[in-house]
Amino acid sequence: MDPVVVARSLTKRFRAKVAVDALDLDVARAGRVGLLGPNGAGKTTTLLMLLGVITPDAGTIDLVGHRLPRHRSRALGRVGFVAGYLPLPENLKVREALSIFAGFYGLRRPDRIIDAAIDRFGIGHLADQQSRELSSGQRTLVSIVKSTLHEPELLVLDEPTASLDPDVAGRVRQTMLDLHRESGTTLLVTSHNMREVEALCERVVILSHGRIAADGTPAEVAAAFDTDDLEAAFLEVASQSRRHGGADDLPGEHFGVHR
Amino acid sequence: MNTTRIAAVMRRHWIVLRRAPHRWFEISFWPVMDVVLWGSVGAFVAQDSPDARAGAPFLLAGLVMFWTFTQAQFAISLGVNEETWTRNILNVMTTPLREFEYVVGIAMFGLLKLVLCLVTLTVTTIALFGFDLSSIGWGVIPIMALLVVNGWALAMLTVGLVLRFGQSAEILIWGLNYALLSFSGVFFPADALPDGIRPIASILPTTKAFSALHTLLAGDPLPWDTLAASLVGTVVFFAATISFATWLLGLFRRRGFVTRYS
Repeated sequence: MDPVVVARSLTKRFRAKVAVDALDLDVARAGRVGLLGPNGAGKTTTLLMLLGVITPDAGTIDLVGHRLPRHRSRALGRVGFVAGYLPLPENLKVREALSIFAGFYGLRRPDRIIDAAIDRFGIGHLADQQSRELSSGQRTLVSIVKSTLHEPELLVLDEPTASLDPDVAGRVRQTMLDLHRESGTTLLVTSHNMREVEALCERVVILSHGRIAADGTPAEVAAAFDTDDLEAAFLEVASQSRRHGGADDLPGEHFGVHR
Repeated sequence: MNTTRIAAVMRRHWIVLRRAPHRWFEISFWPVMDVVLWGSVGAFVAQDSPDARAGAPFLLAGLVMFWTFTQAQFAISLGVNEETWTRNILNVMTTPLREFEYVVGIAMFGLLKLVLCLVTLTVTTIALFGFDLSSIGWGVIPIMALLVVNGWALAMLTVGLVLRFGQSAEILIWGLNYALLSFSGVFFPADALPDGIRPIASILPTTKAFSALHTLLAGDPLPWDTLAASLVGTVVFFAATISFATWLLGLFRRRGFVTRYS
């Protein structure tokens, strides 16, 4: 299957700091990929470049078959973005916010689509609430609804369950898995919760200093670092990254699975 | 250009306006207070001066036109700021909505606010001072159009500065508006300005637009040469600020400034 994300030699510097360093990344259609790494590893910068929000210093990006930045609008018509840390616009009720974002996605007369999405995700009781009155979990759920109204091929989720309690986080996770199973939506997720990533993702890519330190199934990555699970492998990457100040000495670079 | 997306931008800002009573101040309260203040000043000065230029009509006409400029500017400047204030800019930038469509949406919504503001001003100036701007004639329409485009141009300048320098630059939305008010001879002929300021005033397209208004108020025909000079200046100003804002938007994307609002 053709990949939904093809990034080549993606590079981004912020003054002297190299945030992303000649990164090559493919994400296969209908895949579930976790993009991991210690704080400052370049995860969010990578995601925002893949979404066309930040312009890379070098490299190319093809998003759902469209080259960025030239065809950004066309590409984003087939991509959804959810960030656990972002609020919904204030002064809008949930249904109004969904209606406006449906308009941003170019959906004409979206009422039926919104009703169906509200039913599907079980948020009928929130529809007439003000966005600012929602709890963190409700907000994340509504953000997922907002970002899937246009049935995207790729859903990018930046720390979707950060600051959620385990129960709510579990339901958000299940929502993502249901979406993937029912619609074949590709998931690209960043998270600091390794158990969540193991449950959600069939492939993980660990970044360190803007470079790929490991790439494979959670079990393969754990094995490559001679650890029992993904969390231990992540801690090993973080530790080596701190010691060496770079990803050069890290083992397990580019397992090349699921490419 | 996608009209569904533009309509969604307009709807978003209409709901914000509807829900926030304090936002009606810029359409109704401040314009009405300006009419009371400047109309009274004009009426007081006219008691001792037979010169029509010092009277309430002169001040009130300038006021209505200045609010025309201000509404056009604020619609875009504050429209973009609404997204930064509510940390919604990343949500918006990750949809297919193009920057151009967003600006067209808020500019069109601004025209709706302008109509509401003009109705408020017209009713108030007639009710309180017996002054009706339409009595001056159709010549006010091209002058209004020039001021609307100049308002959009100034908005692009301030939007660019806010994108580059963040919230610390927001004060320029009001600051540059007030500077233009001072330098453009809204309530008086530009030659009344201090010597050092006159050269600045002379190159502003808004000064020429207000000068054309003053000519009409004096009962003379519309000065097409002044209007043409204003049009040329407006085109240059608009093109320059669009280029400036586009350049700074590119910088905003290259430097990753969006993370300031997320």
